[in-house]
Amino acid sequence: MRSIILILFSLFISSCLKLDSNLYNNDNTIKEYQLDNYTGVQDFVLDASYNVPSNLITLFSLQSQADGESNSTTIKALYIGDATKINTDTVILYCHGNKWHMDFYWQRAKLLAHTNGKNHYGVLMMDYRGFGLSEGKPTENGMYADVDACMKWLKGKGLTNDRLIIYGFSLGSSSATELTGNPRSLTPAKLILEAPFGSAAIMVQDASQLNMPADYFTDLKIDNAEEIKKVDQPFLWIHGNNDNFLNYKTHGQVVYNNYSGIYKEKYLVDGADHGEVPAKMGFTNYLKVLGSFIRKN
Amino acid sequence: MNSVIKFLFIILFAYFFQNCAPSRFVKPLAKKQQAASFTFGGPIIKFAGAPIPIPFTTLAYGYGITDNITGFGSLHTTSLLFGNLQSDIGATIKLFEKENKFGISASPAIQVAYNVRNQTGFRIWPSADINTYFHFKEKPSYLYAGVNSWFEFSKYKAHEQKQERHAIPNLHVGYTIVKQKWHHQFELSYLGIGIPNRPGVAEYIGISDKGALGFYYSIIRKF
Repeated sequence: MRSIILILFSLFISSCLKLDSNLYNNDNTIKEYQLDNYTGVQDFVLDASYNVPSNLITLFSLQSQADGESNSTTIKALYIGDATKINTDTVILYCHGNKWHMDFYWQRAKLLAHTNGKNHYGVLMMDYRGFGLSEGKPTENGMYADVDACMKWLKGKGLTNDRLIIYGFSLGSSSATELTGNPRSLTPAKLILEAPFGSAAIMVQDASQLNMPADYFTDLKIDNAEEIKKVDQPFLWIHGNNDNFLNYKTHGQVVYNNYSGIYKEKYLVDGADHGEVPAKMGFTNYLKVLGSFIRKN
Repeated sequence: MNSVIKFLFIILFAYFFQNCAPSRFVKPLAKKQQAASFTFGGPIIKFAGAPIPIPFTTLAYGYGITDNITGFGSLHTTSLLFGNLQSDIGATIKLFEKENKFGISASPAIQVAYNVRNQTGFRIWPSADINTYFHFKEKPSYLYAGVNSWFEFSKYKAHEQKQERHAIPNLHVGYTIVKQKWHHQFELSYLGIGIPNRPGVAEYIGISDKGALGFYYSIIRKF
């Protein structure tokens, strides 16, 4: 009996198992970014017509410091386009999902660089802390700080609010929504969310089917369903209606419904699972939808 | 996702079916008799190509208040790992019995959960079991079958979304091998009858993409 009590007591005092770190499915074991030479699993691989000249790819480091942190963290970012023309170009700031590192998302970033024409817009993507070659460990606040560090870099290159489009996919939807609703270095002109989280609470309640609090499992908030209420900028929501990770009805639809800004548009992709949206839509159609939304006044 | 991460994730996503733990006490204990049990098992999912039960664990204790009523309480030890105190507290009531042949019992209970670490999220869900049990050739071991449901009375869930599901019904069939002091209970369940199991990260073994089959093993010590 004493052993049982001891075990239970140990469980109590060590009961800090949370799913937070599992949401960041990061891989920081790579030695360098492979980009087009990456042969690991990817959602899709574009054909050669989508290739980007190497002189339009800039890989660089940034310093990111979240509120309350005493030291900054070095993160890696990648710019597709002519970095000397950021003072006149429109830029899509791409916040990737929770998987591994930028190599996994390279095809997506490259695809975005073809919105409204080849290299018509600049695209900036970063690895959040703990992902790929970025230092540190992933945290929710750290992730927001990392995206803001990218905004600072863009601002330093001459980007203004009216030419910044922020795009969040999956986990990246939290940074995109947070930094649109609560702007820091720049205020994005438009928000695009692909397969967004609603909130951590929705994740838990989808799983339990009960009105169960999120903090039973996680300290993460990722509260897009509430943060979207602060967004006034035009908003495009794209989601697969066969998303097995983030159900479009319980996650994306709630975010979309809670938006009350000046303009919103949605695109549900028939049969697309999480990560399948561009491929199921067809790349041309996907770019057409994005391009049209970005061009709308 | 690598397999370890995926498995941890699945624990969260399988939690819905974990709500439906096996029957604590199918037959009431004798008056003043005590019993402790350890249960292992959960919904069956396909993991790395093979069907496995999610290894949720529960400790339970029962006390024979009368020959017809047994009070019980349990501790969900998997929940404890997440810093949540989760317990079901209830009673098994003998409704009818033809001695050593068959009987019917009911087990109303309340499921209580509380986040100990954050000291938040106190929740109560009522639940109820109805079981019937059969002794073959008047042997002490018995076969049982029954229904169980959890009930959610909240009208709304997060972000003012309507709580659409107010009951999570389950069917189960089991066999209890009765020894002198130790009992072994094997239970096969169909969890979440009619509730779609897609979309979902966990690949449940259900019926027509609904519900999930579950398997539980309990070891029970009477004293």
